[in-house]
Amino acid sequence: MTLADKRNRLLIQVVLVLFALAFLYPFFLVIINTFKAYAEIVTDVVSFPKQLVFSNYTQVWNSMNYPKLFANTFVLTLASVVGIVLFGSMAGYKLSRTKTKTSAFLFFLAIAPMMLPFQSFMVTLTKLAKDLHLINHLSGLTMIYWGLGCPMAVFLIHGFVKSIPMELEECAYLDGCSPYRLFFSIILPVMMPVISTVIILNVMWIWNDFLLPLIMLNGQEATLQLAAYKFFGQYKSEWNLALTAVVLVTLPPILFFLFMQRYIIEGMVSGAVKG
Amino acid sequence: MNVVKNKWKDRAVFLSFVAPVIILILITAEIPFLMSLYYSFTKWNGISKNITFIGFENFIELFTQDKDALKSFLFTIQFSIVNIIGTNVLALILAVFLTKKFKLNNMLRAAFFVPYIVSLVIIGFIWKFIFSSAFTSMFNATHWDFFNWSWLGTPNLAFVSVILVSIWQSVGFYMMIYITGLQAIPNDLNEAAGIDGANAFQRFFKITLPLLIPSVTVALFMSISNSLKIFDIIFTLTFGGPGKSTTSTTMDIYNEAFVNNRFGYATAKSLVFVIIILIITFIQVKFFKSKEVEA
Repeated sequence: MTLADKRNRLLIQVVLVLFALAFLYPFFLVIINTFKAYAEIVTDVVSFPKQLVFSNYTQVWNSMNYPKLFANTFVLTLASVVGIVLFGSMAGYKLSRTKTKTSAFLFFLAIAPMMLPFQSFMVTLTKLAKDLHLINHLSGLTMIYWGLGCPMAVFLIHGFVKSIPMELEECAYLDGCSPYRLFFSIILPVMMPVISTVIILNVMWIWNDFLLPLIMLNGQEATLQLAAYKFFGQYKSEWNLALTAVVLVTLPPILFFLFMQRYIIEGMVSGAVKG
Repeated sequence: MNVVKNKWKDRAVFLSFVAPVIILILITAEIPFLMSLYYSFTKWNGISKNITFIGFENFIELFTQDKDALKSFLFTIQFSIVNIIGTNVLALILAVFLTKKFKLNNMLRAAFFVPYIVSLVIIGFIWKFIFSSAFTSMFNATHWDFFNWSWLGTPNLAFVSVILVSIWQSVGFYMMIYITGLQAIPNDLNEAAGIDGANAFQRFFKITLPLLIPSVTVALFMSISNSLKIFDIIFTLTFGGPGKSTTSTTMDIYNEAFVNNRFGYATAKSLVFVIIILIITFIQVKFFKSKEVEA
């Protein structure tokens, strides 16, 4: 490598780092402004807080009822993802291993919604959910997430199962293992790579989802996203409070991301590539 | 006898594995979709039991009278074209640089990916803050004119703002798709071409890019369908304004159903929109599949 090459590389690296800093600057601005009092945020947004103020956090924490909303969103996400993984992996596995026309047809039926944009049936889904008493409560919303999350899960798992050798199952079967035990104690552990992809894709989607809770919960502020939206409307000009709400709502997924960075990026990308 | 019994047992097991998913998916997606087909031919406000069958009237209204629908569709198309090109070009550039050997690569990749994990509603809100309060402050500090422009208040600038925010939010994700693709391309081809005297640009356009077409297909497929369906960012950033200049088709459908309470008409709109999306994505996938080459 010549000296000019080295200099070019260094230049590119410096440019990239500067670009990344500019790219993240909005987050930086949001964070520093949550530590300012109202009077300071009105006069100056860009500079550091003259003195750190923590009262925004206590105020938002209480007036938003953060612990309850966090618990709601957490349980909603957890229950939805557990259901999607359980139902999706059972069906994906069985449909992949059964080579009949019925099975092929059911597989098509299961993945067909991946082609349907949500907007095309969102209106009638609301009506059907209302008739089935699935609206206005979190357990109904959970069931709707099961249905909406399963097509992708079935699709990914169906593909993955093809790569698992049949010998495993044949041995277990000859030993008199029941199909359910076989699935839960032998197949499920082998499927962990694809299941982690399914978990990550769905956690990110459900935690951050806005439109579906908005129409299914009828204006109640039951999840963090809905409450945040309502909160922004209420405290439109009090940026110190509104931005604090932004941080509180966004912190959980960011922490999740930082701890599981590698898996998340791999999971989301491989989900997309196979989908 | 035993064989017959076993066959029934197998079927029962098969059903116990598969039936829950099929029922769930039928209820949440396929039955509602079929209902949409029916409701698009009715007049219905979403609440009353009173549903009148009106034949093709909804579709006739949509194609002959509905200026909002046309306007929002044109916005959606313009937005999508600029957004798809902007996102993919920037993502590809970042991906090319971030696959070179460089200590900070992982940190930089994560940095560009972060906006993608924040919910779109929040993203819209953060940028509302940047475009209003932060820009005012920056203008006071620098006196640069463009900080003082009305970024969300004039139709043309609001369009630019929505595009900027949308690219900022999703570029990291597409960058990762391209990085995955680039890492799968064997190095020896590029090296051989380098020895034969091809410069960096020639190598990129003649070797890397053709081999990267599968990733391009995926990234374009995702960005086309995501751009056409843009909703949340606009909902918090501009709420379709000023006027209706940044109202997308999805938001128009939402307004028709949940603000104007015209459910029947909204389903008709959404069906037409779906058909358009399906045609566009079908053509795109066909076109790029035919361009794929193997190393």
